[in-house]
Amino acid sequence: MNAQALESDRPAKVAASEPDQGPFDAWLPATAPNAEPAWLALARAAATERVHSQGAPTGKSEGWRYTGLRALLEQGFTPVDAQPAALLPEDVDHLLVPGLDSHRIVIVNGRFAPQLSSLAGLPKGLRIGSLRIALAEDPDALTDDLTRVAGDGAHVLAASNTAGMDDGMVLLAAPGALVEKPVELLHISVGMDEPRVAQPRHLVKLGDGAQVTLIERWASLGDALYCNNAVLEIGLGRDAVLAHRRVQLESPSAFHISGVYLGQGAGSRYNGINIGLGGRWSRTDLVMRFAGEHAECDLGGLYLAGDGQLVDYHLDVRHGLPHCTSRESFKGIIHGRGKAVFDGLVYVAKDAQQTDAAMSNRNLLLSQSAEVDTKPQLEIYADDVKCSHGTTVGQIEPEMLFYLRSRGIREGLARRMLCLGFAGEIIDALGNDALAAHVTEVVGARLEAAPL
Amino acid sequence: MPEQRSGISRKSAEAEAEYGNLVRSEYEHGFVTNIASDTLPPGLDESVIETISQRKDEPLWMLDWRLAAYRKWLKMSTPQWAAVHYPPIDYQAISYFSAPKKTELKSLDEVDPVLLETYEKLGIPIEEQKALAGVAVDAVFDSVSVATTFREKLAEAGVIFCAISEAVQQYPELVRRYLGSVVPPTDNFYAGLNSAVFTDGTFVYVPKNTRCPMELSTYFRINEAKTGQFERTLIIAEEGSYVSYLEGCTAPQRDENQLHAAVVELIAMDNAEIKYSTVQNWYPGDEEGRGGIYNFVTKRGDCRGAGSKISWTQVETGSAITWKYPSCILRGDNSVGEFYSVAVTKGRQQADTGTKMIHLGKNTSSTIVSKGISAQHGIQSYRGLVRIAGKAQGARNHTQCDSLLIGDRCAANTFPYIEVKNPTAKMEHEATTSKISDDQLFYCRSRGLSEEDAVSMIVNGFCKEVFNELPMEFAVEAQKLLSISLEGAVG
Repeated sequence: MNAQALESDRPAKVAASEPDQGPFDAWLPATAPNAEPAWLALARAAATERVHSQGAPTGKSEGWRYTGLRALLEQGFTPVDAQPAALLPEDVDHLLVPGLDSHRIVIVNGRFAPQLSSLAGLPKGLRIGSLRIALAEDPDALTDDLTRVAGDGAHVLAASNTAGMDDGMVLLAAPGALVEKPVELLHISVGMDEPRVAQPRHLVKLGDGAQVTLIERWASLGDALYCNNAVLEIGLGRDAVLAHRRVQLESPSAFHISGVYLGQGAGSRYNGINIGLGGRWSRTDLVMRFAGEHAECDLGGLYLAGDGQLVDYHLDVRHGLPHCTSRESFKGIIHGRGKAVFDGLVYVAKDAQQTDAAMSNRNLLLSQSAEVDTKPQLEIYADDVKCSHGTTVGQIEPEMLFYLRSRGIREGLARRMLCLGFAGEIIDALGNDALAAHVTEVVGARLEAAPL
Repeated sequence: MPEQRSGISRKSAEAEAEYGNLVRSEYEHGFVTNIASDTLPPGLDESVIETISQRKDEPLWMLDWRLAAYRKWLKMSTPQWAAVHYPPIDYQAISYFSAPKKTELKSLDEVDPVLLETYEKLGIPIEEQKALAGVAVDAVFDSVSVATTFREKLAEAGVIFCAISEAVQQYPELVRRYLGSVVPPTDNFYAGLNSAVFTDGTFVYVPKNTRCPMELSTYFRINEAKTGQFERTLIIAEEGSYVSYLEGCTAPQRDENQLHAAVVELIAMDNAEIKYSTVQNWYPGDEEGRGGIYNFVTKRGDCRGAGSKISWTQVETGSAITWKYPSCILRGDNSVGEFYSVAVTKGRQQADTGTKMIHLGKNTSSTIVSKGISAQHGIQSYRGLVRIAGKAQGARNHTQCDSLLIGDRCAANTFPYIEVKNPTAKMEHEATTSKISDDQLFYCRSRGLSEEDAVSMIVNGFCKEVFNELPMEFAVEAQKLLSISLEGAVG
């Protein structure tokens, strides 16, 4: 059904009547970057064509059934053309996670900000830098990697990223490189005079046996209206291990679209935790592909949708080869007039015997007008497999609240305790004390203050 | 019309010659009954609908209703979202009316002996029905009901159980009030087509505070080559009543795809309960997937009253393609919806089936248990929707869908849609997919069971939760059917 789903992502009627303007055309820069290697120009042209002809998915497209694009289209985003006045390290101090020791690369409005990054003393075998610089220095070094993983399977917004990519991070770990300190990829968005869209493009490539922890964070200065449309391509070599932590804390008025496209080599392990807290409207696609046997993919997630917020996670895990394992475990807390969408697909192809996949999605609804739409799907074409999925939707047991209140704990705090108990499993899996404390604090504060 | 009739019987004879020797032992009920029938030429336009309506002596309002449905249907398109694949259907190549020639019967003795023989082959000897187990059978042979038994006994209880064409004549006010009120003609493409051209089906009305004295049952039979069957079933259970309805189907083997687009509407008032059970084993096509029935059915129950209950149980082993989602609209407070399903796909069968539970009233609850078995090249999808509306305080749903895969060329998919807008709702969904474990097989074999018996036993155990919901006679038939279906699929 995957092929069909992608097919159906295309609107029923191609906007042939008005060939001059597609809804996302305005997201692309008016002029193509000059002096670009031919392979990239080609990929860009193909993606531009797709953005142009495909148009916006509608509510009838399966992948967008519960996620309306109207709000996004109404904003009239245009690409970031000029950079804001250069930020100084002290401007963004408060955005750092206290106690988190990391190799840090900072992206401001989609562009690498060297003055905020701390990339000195990288261990041997690890290279981190700006995509723009990497392309300028050696135009053909990334031919085999960039735009390879996020291919045809990606939706129109990922194509828009390919067409409009300007800068981002390139992380290359040599075979066998063991990086102890986490790498932190921090996105900072600053409001501009009008609504702007940034389309950062990242590439992570781990050689055979390399081990890296990547902490990807999204933050903003103030509560500006902007849009991030990011694509992260990850290629893992044989037996490589990547721990990937994603904390999305965009401004309350922001739009956030991100796609993680993962290709896993034999025996590799990917462990990703997604924390979705911010933004007015956010959509995350996690697209996993196995390129070798005995690989493991572990996806965890915690999302909070509060008043007026829409949080959407789409998982697409394709087992095309035998002996691979995947775990998907997402939890959501929805309050106020928040809305959460979870759509997870585990696809097991014909010869992918001995596949082991388990997906779960649990949701807590805290208020009368909260809404959750969840769609965990299994598509299985092999018989010797172990696959399952489970979903629950419920509320905090009134008895539990009563118990805590009868011990003199006020309601907000009681709610915070119970919800953190529910979410604790995911937060603990972050595996980094400083980051876990930061997330606990943000989640707890949100829940305590949550209007019901 | 002597000319047409002879033409038809010639065609039947040809069909007999052509297909008779194709009949395989795998399909027990595969035979074509050679009786003359009165069939409209293929094609569909307003005049065909007028003719159908005329032949059935329908009142004008019924014709108007059909024509309105037809005009809307023309603007509709076939649903594409199901995970099934088949060549496009030419709706002009189908004949929309076919009736056995003798239709006025005073007693069973007048039934065409060939017909009676057919039923005997199917295992429902009508003569024995009267004495047997209190099951009244409204046997539908192609499109017209030819025999209805136990009418008197039902009439005593005040239960109306008759062909829907008869109900249109005799109880027009009831039919008019309820027909299309659960599945409107605009609901979907196949429901629209059915509304325009339905020729027969069953009508059941159970009055207030009445427990229907027996299980009602209809055997549907598709017989004449190139006739789609468009049954329409309408069951109304008034306040405090109870009815259990059984639907079983078989069809002769032939090499022509046949379209079957039925609509079933159930209406349960306050504290009423309707139990609807189906065993479907229509011709699934041969090993290469040729022939077989296209089963595109719209079934929906409306729990209109408080405390009402609608329960669907289905055992689906036949048909080349099944597209079927028996649903419940839980409108009344405290109403209950249930869906129990066993579906088997083997050979080249494709099934996209599931249910919808729409929770609107307070404290409504629903249970979904779906067991899918896929073997050989079978493709099976569970597609279900659980929607809990904002006002459905205290709604409760439990869903369980399990798939069993036999062989490495089959497929099992699960597409649940869960939409919750109320925080007091409790909703659980779980799904598993696995094969018969080697340990289980080894255990059975070590106790002296043959592999086939062992598989049959394990599969029957897998489906037990659903079979338990079936009425006794049906449960036995279903188990037998399941074993027969899986013969040759294992190993």
